[in-house]
Amino acid sequence: MRWFGFGFNAFAQICVQEKSDKEDSSSAAGEVKVNVPIELKNHVGISKIRASWSRRASLFLDEEKSVRLAGFCAFISNESFSPVMVDTRGCRDAIISETHLTLAFPDRIECWDLQSKKKVPSWSMEILTQSQNSDVNLPLVPGGYISSKTPIFHSLSSHLQAKSLALGGEHAILLTAAGAVYTWGQGSHGELGHGGLIPEEEPRTVEALWGMSMRSVAAGGWHSVCVGDGGDLYVWGWNGSGQLGLPSRGLRKASQQKSDPQSGELCSSVSACLGEERHEEVYISIQAFPALVDVSPSCEIRTVSCGSRHTAAVTTTGCLYTWGWGEYGQLGHQTTTSLDEPKCVEFFRNECLHVVDVVCGPWNTFTAAVKKEVLAT
Amino acid sequence: VTTEQRTTFISTMAFLWSKISATLPPNEEQFPLQFSEKVALSVVEMLKGARLQLYGETTRASRILNAQIILDYSWERLNTGTWRHVDKEWRRVYSYGCLFKAAALCRENPSEEEIRQAIRTCDMGLLMGAAIMGNILQVIVCILQSEIRKLAEEEDNHENNEAKKRKIASPHVGLIKEELAVPRIKCPSLEGFNANHLLPLKPVILEGIIDHWPALNKHPWSVEYLRSVAGCRTVPVEVGSRYTDEDWSQTLLTVNEFIDKYILNKVQVCENGYKAVGYLAQHQLFDQIPELKEDIRIPDYCCLGEGDDDDITVNAWFGPKGTVSPLHQDPQQNFLAQVVGSKYIRLYSPEDTEKLYPHESQLLHNTSQVEVENPDAERFPEFVKAPYLECVLQPGDVLFIPVKHWHYVRSLEVSFSVSFWWS
Repeated sequence: MRWFGFGFNAFAQICVQEKSDKEDSSSAAGEVKVNVPIELKNHVGISKIRASWSRRASLFLDEEKSVRLAGFCAFISNESFSPVMVDTRGCRDAIISETHLTLAFPDRIECWDLQSKKKVPSWSMEILTQSQNSDVNLPLVPGGYISSKTPIFHSLSSHLQAKSLALGGEHAILLTAAGAVYTWGQGSHGELGHGGLIPEEEPRTVEALWGMSMRSVAAGGWHSVCVGDGGDLYVWGWNGSGQLGLPSRGLRKASQQKSDPQSGELCSSVSACLGEERHEEVYISIQAFPALVDVSPSCEIRTVSCGSRHTAAVTTTGCLYTWGWGEYGQLGHQTTTSLDEPKCVEFFRNECLHVVDVVCGPWNTFTAAVKKEVLAT
Repeated sequence: VTTEQRTTFISTMAFLWSKISATLPPNEEQFPLQFSEKVALSVVEMLKGARLQLYGETTRASRILNAQIILDYSWERLNTGTWRHVDKEWRRVYSYGCLFKAAALCRENPSEEEIRQAIRTCDMGLLMGAAIMGNILQVIVCILQSEIRKLAEEEDNHENNEAKKRKIASPHVGLIKEELAVPRIKCPSLEGFNANHLLPLKPVILEGIIDHWPALNKHPWSVEYLRSVAGCRTVPVEVGSRYTDEDWSQTLLTVNEFIDKYILNKVQVCENGYKAVGYLAQHQLFDQIPELKEDIRIPDYCCLGEGDDDDITVNAWFGPKGTVSPLHQDPQQNFLAQVVGSKYIRLYSPEDTEKLYPHESQLLHNTSQVEVENPDAERFPEFVKAPYLECVLQPGDVLFIPVKHWHYVRSLEVSFSVSFWWS
């Protein structure tokens, strides 16, 4: 399996800057914005990737299980910080935030403060023997889940039968064993999918999806995504950067005026905002209920991941589609344009690569792919 | 543009950078970058990098890119959670981003467009950030604004002359019922106002108390004057008929864009067949543009309250004919001073709150559900029974709206009001 990365690279979390490439503006390698997929070096054996804004964590789950970090490492007087000092051998899963690295070992969970020089984790918990052989799926842990802000541990009722959990900017989306979806947290951008903008303190079922079985969930900064058993994609939350794949007025305005997208519309409307151009198009800035998105003609979605304001989906036929905020090249289409419609990342098709997985950092995207011959049916 | 003008322009721009440099600390060591642990070390690293570039040699593109990274990251933090709870540290980081970006834009022979972009950047920092380095963004934006004004002086504004001629007519005869009129009094004494209106919480229109304002005599405010003083500045504008409507939204425009689009109607703004109304409402414009602050004064009667002058919130309300503030109440005393144009205002006592059907939600609890000038008698049967006072507020008038008094406002023509919230 080969891993590729594109998007934000200011901390060399995708690839290191080659000094000789500095003058070569056409080379994507080593720049802050990598807008076309670049193969990761030393990728052999990488099973999973997790990314925070300034770092990438690669999980090696071969015989010697371990985690290696790339990207921002603050060095003070030649002493490296705890990431290098942390013994990650035997680790089964990891998640990374801007400030913490959380590791799941068979018998314990450890949460390391990446900004501290302490040689012990800032938080840890034992895993009882009976849970030790079950699948670990961070941020879910026995009895609840882990976040990177205090309180670190949050309990979850066992009756929910949590199967997977995605933590967004300020919200959470949970998938249960039965295929139901629950959300909680801040709701000001419609990211909870209950039809309003109010926050929820406790997990609340997304009623609009009742009766449909979901198989995976993902969360971005202010949006939520889930994939149905039949490969359908549902989205809700903020669409200011086109991250839902629905028409976004903010994008059209930005491309027309070439103005700073941050100073564009701050829309507080719950339902569709009416377009003001001749096209009579309906723009959506906040989608408070799940909406179905047609990613590609008659293609099932295999897996999906969300960055801060972009979304990436892999189809069962091995194509990668991306949409949303593209300012740092995180959509991989060789531009820094944002899109409000799913678009196939041609690179993989051109290289005869079959994409099998995608993981988004806040401003970048990492994909796992195999050569098409390898799949020879 | 002649060669001579261009040469002058270029040397002016070099001079511009030296003026901006002078506002910055002399070297990297004296440039403060202190943040609480809330700001991740990776972000601090970016900030230090931008500081290094400010005092060192690098490309313009690189400076702008690094500033933009800081802006993009802190902007995301500002949009996380509720505005009230956003950590001040992130607002400071955002301001630093604006500083680095504005400096990068103005460094090497900036064009007029680049200066305007830098002004917009400073304004974003003033609107969304928190003051840093002695409110340096305010200092820099004033320097940039005077550059733009110098350039504008050379231009001939034929169009603007035409707009000047557009005088305000309308006597508004028969609009209010005499028996329901808000009482008027000319220059009452402090004791008189206190005894007859403030303590009993009775609305009144004070006449003659702002005649001395430069805004009404020395620098009479007009659409053109506002353009010249604040045209290139970015301000928040509310779009939509009223803030209780579903299609109400907020956007950011320069004062020039706002005037062109919503005051002078030069640009067709059509939503669903209706012309959209834009309102520069409830904005602390006078903190952003000190020149305008000098044209107004805090009413003496505010000293009857408990707070300091610093506790008084001064807001600008500038919009075309037809802006509506739905019936609502505020938690402080209010002096509403009318400077340009006129407004129809209706007042209801807090005693009659039940007949006004306030919204139940937390967010809109201080707002009535009733459309005052077109009430739904079926949904709100008690409303017509609620007693009220009404008036047409004219330039020079100041309306005293007692704390918690319900008020409804509709502009009858292009209008500029200044409100003072005090306790």
